[in-house]
Amino acid sequence: MNGRVETWSRLKGDPAGVAGLLIVGVFLLLAAGVWAGVLGQGWADASGGRWESPGAEHWFGTNVLGQDIFERSVYSVRTAFEIGLVVAVLSTLLGAALGALSGWYARTWVDGTVMWLKGVLDAIPFYLFVAAVAYALQGRPWAMHLAMVATFWTTTGRLVRAEVLKLRGQDFVRAARTIGLSDARILLRHVLPNTSHILLVQGTLALVAAIKTEVILSFLGLGVQDGVSWGLMLAESTQEVPAGHFANFAAASGMLFALLMGFNLLADALQDAMDPRQASL
Amino acid sequence: MSATVLSVRKLSVFLRDGRAEQTVVDGVSFDLAAGEVLALVGESGCGKSKTAEAIMGLLPSGLARLEADEIRLGDVNLARLGAEAMRRVRGRDLSMVFQEPMTALDPVFRVGNQLTTPFRRHRGQSRRDASNSAEAMLRRLGMPDPDRVMRRYPHELSGGMRQRVLLAMAMACRPQVLIADEPTTALDVTTQAQVLEDLVRLGQEAGTAVLLITHDLGVVAHYADRALVMQRGRIVEEAGVGDLFRAPTHDYSRALIAAARGLSG
Repeated sequence: MNGRVETWSRLKGDPAGVAGLLIVGVFLLLAAGVWAGVLGQGWADASGGRWESPGAEHWFGTNVLGQDIFERSVYSVRTAFEIGLVVAVLSTLLGAALGALSGWYARTWVDGTVMWLKGVLDAIPFYLFVAAVAYALQGRPWAMHLAMVATFWTTTGRLVRAEVLKLRGQDFVRAARTIGLSDARILLRHVLPNTSHILLVQGTLALVAAIKTEVILSFLGLGVQDGVSWGLMLAESTQEVPAGHFANFAAASGMLFALLMGFNLLADALQDAMDPRQASL
Repeated sequence: MSATVLSVRKLSVFLRDGRAEQTVVDGVSFDLAAGEVLALVGESGCGKSKTAEAIMGLLPSGLARLEADEIRLGDVNLARLGAEAMRRVRGRDLSMVFQEPMTALDPVFRVGNQLTTPFRRHRGQSRRDASNSAEAMLRRLGMPDPDRVMRRYPHELSGGMRQRVLLAMAMACRPQVLIADEPTTALDVTTQAQVLEDLVRLGQEAGTAVLLITHDLGVVAHYADRALVMQRGRIVEEAGVGDLFRAPTHDYSRALIAAARGLSG
C-alpha cells in the first residue's frame, strides 16, 4: 500500500485528528484571505464608535478607538501564522542539523560543543531569554523570530541526536557502508529521513509554541511592532475588561485557544498516523 | 585450482579495553579462490565477524585496531588503502550480507530505491537502467514479481525475501568476494536452505568467491568447499569439507563436530 494513502486513511479514522484538521484548515483559509487582501484589511480603520456592541456592522463590536474587533482578530491570524511558520521551519532545520551532527559524531568535540550550547540555552529561563533578546533588539521586527529560533531548536536537537545515536549502530547503516556509500550520504539519505517523524511532530509543536510566545511577547510590548496581534488586543483589553467590555478579550483569547487546540489535536493524530514503524503489516 | 582472489596474511585485530588492548583476531592467514565457498566456523566470540569487518575495512574506528601483512584483493592491498579508495572497492569488488535481514534495509525507503543504489553508485547507471538491472537481478533470484517487490517497503517483505533483496544488492556489481556473515541464522530452516542455495548459485554464476561465516556445521557440510575452524582468534584447522568431517585433526574441530552430532541426535 502507498505510504501516504495509508497515513491519510489512518488520520481519517481518528475523530480528534479530523477535528484538528478542520480547525487548522479554517484558520489557514483565514490567513490566506488576509494574505490575498480579501479579509481583515480594515484592522487599522478607526471609523466606528467607541466600544460598540457586536452587531451586523461590527460582528465582534469595536474597541476603545472604534476599530472593528473582528477585522483585527482575523488579521492577527496572519500575524500568528507568519511568525509560527518562520520559527517552526528554521528551528526544526537547525535542530535537525545540529542534532544529527552531534549524534553522528557523538563523544567528539562536535558533539561536545553542540551539547554545551544546548545546555547553556536550556539553563536560561525561556521567557526571560526571549524577552531579553527581544528587548535588546527592540524595534527590529525579526528580534522575536531570532530569539525563538535560538531556543526552540534545543528540544528537536536532543531528540534527533538520540535517534541518530540509535540509528547509526543499526544494520542498515552498516549495510549502506558495505555498498560503499560515504558518511555524508548515509547521514543525509538514510539517517535523517529516519528521523522525519520526530521532525514533523517537533515542527508542529514549535509552530504552536511560537504562536503562543508571540502573543505573550506582544502582550508585554516586546513582540509585534507594526501590525496587530492577539497579544496586542489582549493588552488593550486589560483597560477594557474592568470597564465591562469583554469583546476584545473574548475574541483574541477565543481565537488563540481554538487555533492551539486544533494544532495539538492534529499533531497528536499525525504522530500516530505517520510513524513508519506503526505501519500495518 | 582457480586463481586466488583474496589473500589474507597475518591479520590481527585488537580491541581497546580501557587502557589495555585485547587481541580478538590473532595472525589469521588464508586464501580464497575464485568461485570457491570457504566456510569460517567457530563458536560465538571467536573472532569470525571481526575478521570479516577487518577485511571490509568496517572496524569501528577508535575502538579497534588492525594489523596485517597483507589483505590482497586482486592486485590491491586493502590493508594499505585509504578510506576514499576503500569506499570505491566496497560494494563493487567486495561486498557483504549480514545476519539480520529485518534491520539491514532502511525502513523509510522502498526496496527498489535501495536496490538500485549499488548500480547507480558503482556502475554509474541512470535511474531507469539501474531499475532494470535491479529487476533482472531479482528475477535471477527467482522472485516471481520483481516489479511489485521493488515498490514495497521493507516491512512488507518476509525475512527470506529481505535477505534475498540484500543478496541482490551485494551481488549487484558481481564482486570478486562476497562475505556472508551468518546470512541465514535469523531465518527458519526451509527459507535458510533456499537462500543459501541462491547465494551459492549466484556466486558460481558470477565467479564470486564466498566467505561463509557460520556456526552451523550442517550448513558447512552442505554448501562449503573448504572450511577454516577458528578458536579464540586463531585458525586451528584448515581442510576440505570432506576431510574435516571424516578426519578432523584438531581437538577443537572434533569437539565442534561431536557437539553438532549430539544436537542433531
